[in-house]
Amino acid sequence: MNPATSLILRQMRAPLIVIITVFSIATLGMVVIPGVDAQGQPWHMDFFHALYFVSFTATTIGFGEIPYPLTDAQRIWVLITIFFSVIGWFYALSKIVSLIQTPIFKRAVIHSNFKRSLNQINQKFYLVCGYGETGQDLVEGLANKESRCVVIDNNHNAIETLEVQNYLSYVPGLEADAQVPSQLEYAGLSHKLCSGVIAITNSDQCNLKIAIISKLLHPGIPVICRTEHNDYEENMQSFNTDHTINPFDTFAHTFAMAMKSSALYLLNDWLTGVPDTVLSDPIVFKKGHWVLCGYGRLGKRIYQTLKNQGLSVTIIDTIPALRDHFIMNNSDDETKFIIGTGTDAKTLKEAGIENAVGLVSGSDNDSNNLSSIMTAQMFNSELIIIARQNEMVNKELFLASNAQIIMHPSEIVARQIRTLLNNPLLIEFLLECYLQSTEWINITISLLSGTISELTPHCWTSILNEEESPAMHSALSKGRKITIKHILKNPLQRHKKIYCMPLMVRRNNNNFLLPEKDFQLIQNDEILFCGSSQAEHHISHCMRDIHALNYVMSFKDAPDSLLGRYITGTTKHKRRNND
Amino acid sequence: MNLEKVIFSFFMILALTLNFGFFYGDVHNPDHHNVYELYAVIVINLIATIMKFGDRSQLGAMLLATSLVANVQLISAAVVWAVAEHVQAAGVTEATIATIVSLSGGAVLANIISVVILVLEASMLRH
Repeated sequence: MNPATSLILRQMRAPLIVIITVFSIATLGMVVIPGVDAQGQPWHMDFFHALYFVSFTATTIGFGEIPYPLTDAQRIWVLITIFFSVIGWFYALSKIVSLIQTPIFKRAVIHSNFKRSLNQINQKFYLVCGYGETGQDLVEGLANKESRCVVIDNNHNAIETLEVQNYLSYVPGLEADAQVPSQLEYAGLSHKLCSGVIAITNSDQCNLKIAIISKLLHPGIPVICRTEHNDYEENMQSFNTDHTINPFDTFAHTFAMAMKSSALYLLNDWLTGVPDTVLSDPIVFKKGHWVLCGYGRLGKRIYQTLKNQGLSVTIIDTIPALRDHFIMNNSDDETKFIIGTGTDAKTLKEAGIENAVGLVSGSDNDSNNLSSIMTAQMFNSELIIIARQNEMVNKELFLASNAQIIMHPSEIVARQIRTLLNNPLLIEFLLECYLQSTEWINITISLLSGTISELTPHCWTSILNEEESPAMHSALSKGRKITIKHILKNPLQRHKKIYCMPLMVRRNNNNFLLPEKDFQLIQNDEILFCGSSQAEHHISHCMRDIHALNYVMSFKDAPDSLLGRYITGTTKHKRRNND
Repeated sequence: MNLEKVIFSFFMILALTLNFGFFYGDVHNPDHHNVYELYAVIVINLIATIMKFGDRSQLGAMLLATSLVANVQLISAAVVWAVAEHVQAAGVTEATIATIVSLSGGAVLANIISVVILVLEASMLRH
């Protein structure tokens, strides 16, 4: 039995018994006490009439003295009946109302609703632990891409925020502590369709605990963890956590990529960005002096990247202990370490901001970061600015600050996980790009900008198997030759172009980058495309629908029904030749 | 001794005994079956049912089910009686009283099962 129903029934025992007792005594009294009929003869009410009379009296409906006017003896009894039965009735009603308003009952209802919506999920889903900034960003990306998610968070406000969101697919949310194994199992870990646990709470300790629970109880389910400290990361990897994502490492990697080749950075940014947002502009990195405000987790990594490039750096941080530590570890270094916030003109001037090419404002305080950027720009308007944004609410401020690269840890983690889940082939592609020459990347970028409009493209993977692309699969199994140029045609009107570019074909663990137009496809190929959402729609239509596929390959729309074929004179034999 | 258990058992056994008292006698003879007794059986049965509400154990579910069965049977009997007496012109005939008594006979069976479960449950407790 549902816990909420059970709770109601148990609490309603006393009021119901009171009502039944009052009703039965009242009815009995009405039967026993003699009355008189219209002729003045003695008369007894039977049970049927007595129950009828008591029912309308007790519920305060009151039809009057029927069938005959009551005697005084009966009236005395009715008087007693009214007071007791009305009291009993209101007692029961008020009990129900107060029961519905108790927090225990509310929680029981919420839990049973959650359980029901979890049981209704009939496709693979991800269990997202933590619905903070990262969680919201990630769930939005996943739920609007037709992936199902379930959220668990111990914060009441977070779950309330989730309730009012309007995602394409419904996301059930549970207010519970994910660090408790039974709660995590209840939230969907033990569900047979759970295809991944994503631990993105803001505490590494908590994420670690979630990873341990998942890996111990359900070793087959992939686990993705957010972590901000290296020791936790190593700990998680030691028991085969499938992916650990450190926003600082990820950003440092991107930054290193940007320093190596701005085209590579641009490619990465375009392909992994949120689709249908405005494309970012290319950034040109000049060699020269850099000022680094904040020597924390981000600062240390960026310093290393800059040093590897052989650039001169000045560090500004408020904590003297960090300077001592820095000088101890880098004694042979001539890098200056200034104590200060980096928000005032004096320290920035001392750090050489006037002659610098770049500023990194990477402290964990958004106001300080914004203040450094604004002060620095007064001295040097040519600066390349890399800003760390800590809180989602400050998004507009950072966008207005003219910073070229905005590093927002939550967004980085959400972006990385989204790519990992929706499009693992894209990560593979970017790794391949990293190994390519600068010219190759420049050519790719120019091809890409020729194909897509000024909005960030969609990236998606099509697999030529029976499940995902039945039309392609059956055509290929019949031995038809299908090349890339065929599927890049518009299945509605062939002369119209579709804005799409195949980036990579993966076949038996071999990757073919930028396949040519006459690249021949075979079964079970995985193709990574990038293009507009309309192109995605057209291409997946072609792969599923045999008529669309016939049309783009032969430009003939052959009828499929027996009568249609008879009229147009295309017998089955002829049609096959046509294909 | 637990007072709650005493009250609980009291109502269940009273439901059975009253029910049996009503059922006992010639099926066709209205004089053997008192309307007050049927009324008392229904009230006691309703109270017994409510006392079984909200018990989430397997035995509790069985007890609730037997009580609900007895209620359905007894209330049908009462409805048959009321309809025969007030709606139909023929009044309470021998056939009608036979229907009422046999319906209450079914309720006796359900109440017996209920009491048997109660006794079983009590004997399972180790003191």
